[in-house]
Amino acid sequence: MTPHTIHQSSDERFNPIAGILAYLLPGLGHWYLGEAKRGILIGVGVLWLFFGGVLIGGIDSVDRVEDKWWFVGQAGVGPIAFAVDLVHQTQFKVVDDEGRPHTPPPGPDARASKSIGHANEVGSLFGAIAGMLNIMCVIDAMWRPRTERRAVPRREASA
Amino acid sequence: MTLSLLAYTVILDPMPLRGGTWWLTLLPLALGIAVVYKAIKLDDLRRYPKQVAMMTTQIVVVMIALAVGFQVVVGWITPLLGG
Repeated sequence: MTPHTIHQSSDERFNPIAGILAYLLPGLGHWYLGEAKRGILIGVGVLWLFFGGVLIGGIDSVDRVEDKWWFVGQAGVGPIAFAVDLVHQTQFKVVDDEGRPHTPPPGPDARASKSIGHANEVGSLFGAIAGMLNIMCVIDAMWRPRTERRAVPRREASA
Repeated sequence: MTLSLLAYTVILDPMPLRGGTWWLTLLPLALGIAVVYKAIKLDDLRRYPKQVAMMTTQIVVVMIALAVGFQVVVGWITPLLGG
């Protein structure tokens, strides 16, 4: 046991609203729990990684159709990931001769270009890690003890 | 390189990572992971900046150590075994 222990109380129960808010916008769940600073740090970190991935890999690094398994990870960021994918699918894809939508290779007519190689790998990885970290934050927000009750010396906790 | 930079549109196009520069993206990746992880891990956020710096450094150092280890195995040991 560490010198500090978590004090059990009725305030430390399951909080689904905090979890939903944390998924809707990274950090919002902790803000709702009264930990604004922690919420801001989470939001900045998750969005830094997600949009860092879009910056490195281009908008093509978020693709629900062509990179399905990467998007499973990226979806953890919440509605922002779905919004970026929606913009990608509806605004930047072209339809090939067989009727399949895809992001075109670089060229004068391309509004966004296909992401390949290291840029695509790193961009997708940034987004997927952002999503998985945000799922951790959602879980933490749902079961997080209130701040003032987290680090209580053991003697006080047992009193 | 210059032409690819001229054609580059932020967000819409992938960043023109050339040669051995792509691995530098490990630095912002490690920083982002540490920022989020320590935000939920630490009870007392007064230690936060120091802990984030320490975890970022740990990730980068361990990744470099792994790269060196794999280079030793793949570049030196495996060719010796193949003989």
